[in-house]
Amino acid sequence: MRVSHHHQGTVPGASFVDPRVLARIDNLEMVAKFVVDGFINGLHKSPYLGLSLDFAEHRAYMPGDDIRRIDWRLYARTDRYYVKEYEADTNANFTVALDISKSMDFGMKGISKLDYARFLAASLAYFSNQQRDRVGMMTFDQALVDYVPCSAKHMNVVLHTIDRIKPQRSGALGPAMNSIAGTLTRRGILVLISDFYEPVEQVLEAIKPLRYRGNDVIVFHVLDPAEVDFPYEEAGNFEDLETGERIPIVPQTQRDKYRELVLAHVADLGKQFSNDRIDYAMFDTATPLDYALFQYLSNRVRLMKTR
Amino acid sequence: MPFAFLAPAFLAALAVLAIPVMVHLIQKERKDAVRFPSLMFLNQVPYKSTRRRKIRNWALFLLRSAAVFLVVAAFARPLYEGTLNADSPLATAREVAILVDRSYSMGYTGRWDRAMTAANAAVDGLGPDDRGTIIFFDGGAVAANQPTGDHARLKAALQGATPGSGVTRYGPGLKLAQGILETSDKPRREVILISDFQRTGWDGGEGVQLPGGTEITPISVADGATADLAVGEVTFRREEQGGRERITATARIINTGVDPVTDAAVTLELNGRELETKRVNVKANDVASVVFAAFTLAEENLRGVVRVASDALPADDRFHFLLSPGQAVNVLIADGGAPRSSLYLERALSISERPRYRVEVKRADAVRPADLSSRAVVLWNDATFPPGETGRRLRSFVEEGGGLVLIAGPRANWTAAADLVPGPIGQVVDRDHPGGALGYIDYGHAVFEVFRAPRSGDLAAPRFFRYRPVQADSTALVRARFDDGAAALIEKPMGSGRILIWTSSMDNFWNDLPVQPIFLPMAHQLVLHAAGYVEPSPWFTVGQVIDVTAGAAVSAADSAARRAPRAARDLIALAPNGDRIEIDTGLLRTEQRGFYEVRSESGTGRIVAVNVDLAEAELASMEPAELVTALEPGENVERTAGQTQLRPADRERTQSLWWYLLMVAFIVLVTETVLGNRQSRRRLAR
Repeated sequence: MRVSHHHQGTVPGASFVDPRVLARIDNLEMVAKFVVDGFINGLHKSPYLGLSLDFAEHRAYMPGDDIRRIDWRLYARTDRYYVKEYEADTNANFTVALDISKSMDFGMKGISKLDYARFLAASLAYFSNQQRDRVGMMTFDQALVDYVPCSAKHMNVVLHTIDRIKPQRSGALGPAMNSIAGTLTRRGILVLISDFYEPVEQVLEAIKPLRYRGNDVIVFHVLDPAEVDFPYEEAGNFEDLETGERIPIVPQTQRDKYRELVLAHVADLGKQFSNDRIDYAMFDTATPLDYALFQYLSNRVRLMKTR
Repeated sequence: MPFAFLAPAFLAALAVLAIPVMVHLIQKERKDAVRFPSLMFLNQVPYKSTRRRKIRNWALFLLRSAAVFLVVAAFARPLYEGTLNADSPLATAREVAILVDRSYSMGYTGRWDRAMTAANAAVDGLGPDDRGTIIFFDGGAVAANQPTGDHARLKAALQGATPGSGVTRYGPGLKLAQGILETSDKPRREVILISDFQRTGWDGGEGVQLPGGTEITPISVADGATADLAVGEVTFRREEQGGRERITATARIINTGVDPVTDAAVTLELNGRELETKRVNVKANDVASVVFAAFTLAEENLRGVVRVASDALPADDRFHFLLSPGQAVNVLIADGGAPRSSLYLERALSISERPRYRVEVKRADAVRPADLSSRAVVLWNDATFPPGETGRRLRSFVEEGGGLVLIAGPRANWTAAADLVPGPIGQVVDRDHPGGALGYIDYGHAVFEVFRAPRSGDLAAPRFFRYRPVQADSTALVRARFDDGAAALIEKPMGSGRILIWTSSMDNFWNDLPVQPIFLPMAHQLVLHAAGYVEPSPWFTVGQVIDVTAGAAVSAADSAARRAPRAARDLIALAPNGDRIEIDTGLLRTEQRGFYEVRSESGTGRIVAVNVDLAEAELASMEPAELVTALEPGENVERTAGQTQLRPADRERTQSLWWYLLMVAFIVLVTETVLGNRQSRRRLAR
């Protein structure tokens, strides 16, 4: 699933913020607050009011419960009123795993993928913290780099960790995910943010250990628009940010094939993740964050209904 | 092929077309590597070499190529080679210059009428697409109208024209026609030359270069046999009898006809009054002299005319002249009172007939301001320059045009004239035996010019034993120096007049100059130059330019005219035919024969007698074909029956296709700029 470049106004009541504007704000907490508040303000006028992150169980309807939370399909089957309970309603563990390999440090225009991912991670953490979840944080490249255990009091540590991220090494999902899986002791929600420059099979193989532990894994694929559109005109050598390898490229002649491969990769990822019941969304760094979140969450709700 | 190129070598520049091809085919290579997150996908895309690339941006490529092609083609000067048939307006349209000779020989009976008839016929012959210009010429040329196809305007230009007093010169008229034809865009050019074709008007070296393809149609209005009796030069012999001047006039009568003239009446008129008529016989193509009885010249500006009976060519039948009594140059010599100090000067100036000098010698200390009035020159000889009013008057005398000659000597003291002399006068310098000589002489100067020719005076002969050194500053010029380098003669202009300083004496004590043969002419030249004297001419010739403000300041009237401020000297000349001519520059160009009266606003006047140039009276004509051959532009034009086939160069010039190509190229380049900018913006936005 890819969030397309729709602009503000396509979602009623939403007012979205350009990531380049967010990049001018130094305080990460303020960025997160800015995004999330805008996002929630958008929710107030949306039809998805009151929906939380994950479905947990049903319980019998009691007077005083919101009648909109009654599960009408269950009522049709059982002729009894049940209300949906969500995990978010309880205190869940929320962990962001952020790829800080060198390939993330790329941005042709506007902000880099890493900055975008930082804003995304901060916004998600802030959002979860607002819901009284326990918030944790991991950064990785070819191994685990920083680890902040989940805690209701770790919000500031998480933001601080995100703030001092520096890409230093090339990335490898397999070893990094193994480390992460070993670190997670309690099941919860794990948000994985990366650019996934690995074959689809390797990506899935790397993520499976996380899934086996019963974690609810959400994957955000972050790409720069230039990585998708390949708008280069002049021929020349292209250098791999991680390996330093150089190859001659004639964009004119190679652009179409490249685009085809990238889109196939994204589609393949989306398909395979979907098969593994992993939520997947691709964001490009030109998409407003709150808009991306909004799109993702609304899609997630829709998918949950169909599962 | 209907199209060809005049400069096909320029087409080699089409190789430049390779540039847009390369620009559009070859990618620009970046020097620095592009940093990209991962080459994972790029590694899977096969690399294609530039050889297999296609042209990109076809629209821009085509525009750029078209612009290059158009510019190159324009420089190669394309022309349409299709044959123009005789009926095509493009082929038949003509630019016609109708040259009409209006020299005074055209006044010969019947010639002018024939010329006008021919000119009108030429105008009638102009087609609807033709353009014509009437050019009248004699010594000069003037276009009577702008090139036009309007027959009425052309005929109006001919209407009322009359022969003038000038001489025939084909050059100016043909050059004017050349200028008109060269700038014409008509495919055919023609010169119609209507003249009596006098041989004297063409010397072959006029530098006329008519444009290629110009057709020359001569129309001769000359007569077969001609007869003309003309009054040539009139000379005067002046004698003084009883204090009055007696003039004997001698006229030369010229017969240019093929028949002898017998018993022709030649009359002398003075101020319109017939004085004497004589009879003369002149053989064919011969000259006779007629000497009139002497008459007394008592008045200024006596207008005289010598005439013969009117004949077929009346312009040269009268000869005008102007006589005034020989005017004396009024000189004052002021000396310091030393015996014989001015003796040599006074004697030298008394020996002259033309001009005569009226010399008065006074002691310098006795000179009063009134003594300076009506003087042309003051010689201040070995005396103290006067302080006070006399000195001031002497200063203004020079500024208003008078001449002052300061002559050094033992008593010379010019302290009061510090602003007149170019430097202080030093103490006496003694030269050892045998004395010094003149070492440097400016022979180009008016004082010494008469000694320039060999054996015309030995300026090295005089010995100088003493002199007073004067340092000349930048306001003065040294005209002669002694052999030791000291200045001998210094000239300093001041106002309208001039000051000359002779640093030795003129009394035979400090030098032996006064007893040398050169003394007399040198003293005369010194005084005449100081006076700014110009010998008056009794007549001028038509076409001469006369400086009516110049002349010898020998009379009170002339002096006053010269001394008048410039602004008040705006002059008006009254031509012989009554026309008023304003003279701004002081120069009068004479165009008619007779008497011009030049008047200033203050009423003072001058009369100028003007006669025709007798060269024009030589009526022998040349064969028009001779002139046409000399003017023929060569192989510039090829004529075939019913067709006009211009040279490619002329055809190209008339078509000017290069101009249209450049215009199209410009439009293409503008379009390319707009399109290119739009694409750049789109790419940047992406």
